[in-house]
Amino acid sequence: MNMMTHALLATVLTTAMASQATAAEGAATLTLEIGSVAPTDGFLMVGLYNSEASWNDGTAIAGTRAVVDGNQVTVVFADLPTGTYGVKMYHDVDADGEMDTNLMGIPSEPFAFSNNARGRFGPPEWTAAAFELSVDGSVHTISFE
Amino acid sequence: MATTSRREALKMLAAAGGVAAMPAPAAARQVDPVFADYQTASQTDPWTLVVRDAPANGFDSQATLVSGSAPDGLAGTLFRNGPGRFSRQDWRYRHWFDGDGFLQSWTFDAEGLRHRGRFIQTVKWQAEEAAGRFILPALASVPPQPGGLSGPDDMNVANTSVLLLGDELLALWEGGSAWSIDPNTLESQGARRWGGGLDGVPFSAHPKRKAGSGIVWNFGQDAMRDRMIIWKVGPDGAVLDAGIVDDVPGGMVHDFVITEHSLVFLVGSYRFQQMRLPFLDSFAFDAEAPMLAIAIDKNDWTRRRTWELPPGFLFHFGGAWEEADGTIRLDAALSQDARFAMAGAYDIMRGLAETQTDSQARHMQVTLAPGGRSRIESLGDGFIEFPQIDPRLTGLRRRETWHIAWDVDQPRGATRIERRNLHTGERDAFDHGGSVFVEEPLFIPASPTAPEGEGWILHTALNTHAEQTELHAFNAQHLSDGPVASWRLPYACPFGFHGCWRPG
Repeated sequence: MNMMTHALLATVLTTAMASQATAAEGAATLTLEIGSVAPTDGFLMVGLYNSEASWNDGTAIAGTRAVVDGNQVTVVFADLPTGTYGVKMYHDVDADGEMDTNLMGIPSEPFAFSNNARGRFGPPEWTAAAFELSVDGSVHTISFE
Repeated sequence: MATTSRREALKMLAAAGGVAAMPAPAAARQVDPVFADYQTASQTDPWTLVVRDAPANGFDSQATLVSGSAPDGLAGTLFRNGPGRFSRQDWRYRHWFDGDGFLQSWTFDAEGLRHRGRFIQTVKWQAEEAAGRFILPALASVPPQPGGLSGPDDMNVANTSVLLLGDELLALWEGGSAWSIDPNTLESQGARRWGGGLDGVPFSAHPKRKAGSGIVWNFGQDAMRDRMIIWKVGPDGAVLDAGIVDDVPGGMVHDFVITEHSLVFLVGSYRFQQMRLPFLDSFAFDAEAPMLAIAIDKNDWTRRRTWELPPGFLFHFGGAWEEADGTIRLDAALSQDARFAMAGAYDIMRGLAETQTDSQARHMQVTLAPGGRSRIESLGDGFIEFPQIDPRLTGLRRRETWHIAWDVDQPRGATRIERRNLHTGERDAFDHGGSVFVEEPLFIPASPTAPEGEGWILHTALNTHAEQTELHAFNAQHLSDGPVASWRLPYACPFGFHGCWRPG
């Protein structure tokens, strides 16, 4: 009864890493305050999405690989156009650049989404994970808990 | 009416700014029809105790010997697992299989018979116990205002069976990890970690221990993708081999059998159709789909033999063996459809007895011969479930199966236990009568070297007259003589599904 496989997510984030952030028109800064990171080493692989289409097909508009050195990690995306965004991330605990999965394809490394949204039988819907970035910028908190 | 006053109370609390302290969303406070039906039924029908919530702190007591005397040489612990929590905040699960795993131990020692019950401290149980409400989607129910899942083990209820593996007791479910338990205290130790990319991989509820070697074979199903995981585990709990076998149709496969050379699956006609929530709704009975028998070579999982059988469904096997020419003989509790899973197990949550008697399981012997030829023969009249064998003969030629049994005029289920000789057809049975509903009969060998079938049958039961749970011990060869000893608890426990025995 492997009803929840997140193999898709792994693909998505791998793609995100490949398309590194490019400076965009606009001035808003998105700060991600990421908590409950455990263990306190490895990397966070963070993908940023700006539409339902990009969320669903896994085409990240920006991505980053952040060093984990404690249970809190801050990630900043600068120079973003204002608008609606969503975040997918996983904790690359063993620093091999891949989201590890078990034999069934179920993730064995922690993952999280913006709004702390959770899926049921796959990643959450865009509408559950989407949030607004205004011209003043914003701080968005995500927990791995 | 109670609902109105609850709504008014909520409004007042909200006005006072106190709504944040309310443990559940208002939606959960509407009258739940399943909860209401069960409440009504339970006021007049003590049989509904089989699906009553066990206390969150469990049970601890000494059972009272009510007749006979404890058999000489019977020392050890019977472990049993089953669903024990069905409702929170006046909202009730829809399906019997949804309930949280409740583990029981019955220990025979010098002082008599000691009973203990504990909820398995799954991630789900702990989160919902802390929240005071159901949060996670269950197999066949989605509670009000459900949360999300990060993987199958978030909804793991570990409620189906038990396996002793080395010094560990594993509580088993079929959608995710085994849950590790200290057999002496019933304390939970978390999801079983196997390592090697196998953590979180489904480890089903009917592993088979090969006679002699102690090697445990098991499977896990990935119905969505028509494949199986095969597990081969050493007696010490180390994984010897595990891998994926493709092209096993996504029937709901609950049990399997082993022979000397093969792992044998019957894939019934209750098939995965498309992903739906709750998950059980993803399955439907396809009356056109043949039941498939698939025998996978133990030594080369890419080699298989397949047979097409008439459409049908099953939960449980007795056992199997393989003849010199490769013919496989097995016995099982077969039904013509899956209506118990699709209807009866829903009805029981409302406190309603099974009425669709034409679809219940009967004891059948299945012969799978070379060349795709097969034969299905009835081993007896009436309905049966929970077939059990002498565990020392798992995978080997043997004579006997024990099971519970009932008749068409018993919609509340079995009051009888039976032994059936597969070769002669001889039947040995005992009926407790109308107020004692019986659970799985487990065979305990009299000694490691005793001949097949020489030992005891232990089974638990609900006495609806006393409204208390009982344990009965029989001479396994003379069921019709009645129990050699019977004990009773000062309370009624919810029904369990499956058990195992630890001598000592």
